[in-house]
Amino acid sequence: STSSVLSTDKDKSAASKDSTPEGVSKGQEDGAETPKQQLLDIIGSMKVEVSYRKKLQQLKASESKKQALKKLEGPDSEGSVPQGATEDTQRGKALNPELVKAASAVASSLPRNKKQTESELLAQLRRHEETTDKQKKGGTINLRNVISEMTVKRQTPAQRVAMLSGRLSLQVDEDGQRIRPERSSAQSIDSRSLKVGKRLNIFTKASREPEHALKTVSSPTIWDLEFAKEVAAVTAQPPRNGFEEMIQWTKEGILWEYPIDNEVGMEDDAEFHEHIFLEKHLEGFPKEGPIRHFMELVICGLSKNPYLSVKQKVEHIEWFQKYFEEKKELLQEI
Amino acid sequence: MAAGALSWALRAARQVLPSPCPRQVRSYYVDWRMLRDVKRRKMAYEYADERLRINAIRKNSILPRELQEAADKEIAALPRDSCPARIHNRCVMTSRPRGVKRRWRLSRIVFRHFADHAQMSGVQRAMW
Repeated sequence: STSSVLSTDKDKSAASKDSTPEGVSKGQEDGAETPKQQLLDIIGSMKVEVSYRKKLQQLKASESKKQALKKLEGPDSEGSVPQGATEDTQRGKALNPELVKAASAVASSLPRNKKQTESELLAQLRRHEETTDKQKKGGTINLRNVISEMTVKRQTPAQRVAMLSGRLSLQVDEDGQRIRPERSSAQSIDSRSLKVGKRLNIFTKASREPEHALKTVSSPTIWDLEFAKEVAAVTAQPPRNGFEEMIQWTKEGILWEYPIDNEVGMEDDAEFHEHIFLEKHLEGFPKEGPIRHFMELVICGLSKNPYLSVKQKVEHIEWFQKYFEEKKELLQEI
Repeated sequence: MAAGALSWALRAARQVLPSPCPRQVRSYYVDWRMLRDVKRRKMAYEYADERLRINAIRKNSILPRELQEAADKEIAALPRDSCPARIHNRCVMTSRPRGVKRRWRLSRIVFRHFADHAQMSGVQRAMW
């Protein structure tokens, strides 16, 4: 169907262009070909499969044709439309010759001023092409601003080796070796700070209202908790295999986590000296006498105890302090 | 009288605290003696520290004897069930007081039952 349309366009354009070249040939004084010649070349070169050379020729032909049209439109039509069209043509944009032919055919079919309609249609086509090209190039985002901030990072071979070794060590070690790649990423961020430079307006700022709305809601009620529990109970599918069963047991606490950690549930942040040197807690006691002797033995025993936390040891000593203070009257009698 | 019996029945039927575990949980102890043993264990755990400290004062050759006698009276004043000596290791499944192996907390009969049904890991019939 497209081929038939083209053939009809060819006929119509041939008919319409007969009228235009008459005006052009009078005004044309350059060394360029006449529009009729250009058109005939295009028609002759138009095939289903057009080679690259032919396409280039077409582009050049269409460009020169546009210049001719511009000269046509200049004396003929008035208004802002052709001026915009001339500005477009000055940019040297190439329109698809088939589209041009179609536009001319449509213009010829309409009863009004053929040349004006044709120029308007061509202007529209040019604008379409321009926008599509712009989007293809990414001009709407204006990449120049984005790229201006970026610089080519030159890595020394030593840095590269360090990065590779860091990646390798990530796979091998699991404890403590992840600090290295984190450090390097932090350093790279510091050297080029994030808040410097012109705003690119790529992302729109999300409104803050929903956050406030969420905060005003009170802490989850009992009904919410019950609902959450119900949902969890409904969605919890029975385990499909032994692995999932073991996972479930681990979550419930029936099964220990492997490799077995001997210090599960025991969070002792205190250093060894806080466990052993407990004399500073003995300040409330008399410096001499059997009580002091007794308390020193207590402290000796506590320092050797690896199973109690520092808090528990301190609690023991404080209890003794309270007990002896209560028994002070009894002690005075002795 | 009936209300008292009912309340006791309710207390015997100790409900386990709501836990995230979805499967069926045993909500009754085997018998009252087992329940009493459980109570004694809980109380012994509560008073363990105090008993330890007071005993440290009592079993002492340094402190004066008056102090130790006062400590004697104090420890006697504590509730009787707080004493760990009153705990008796019963079978976990049947509450049998005798013939209980400590490692498995089971009486000999239950142990044999499970071992024969191959439900005891690493336990085999002896043959040599």
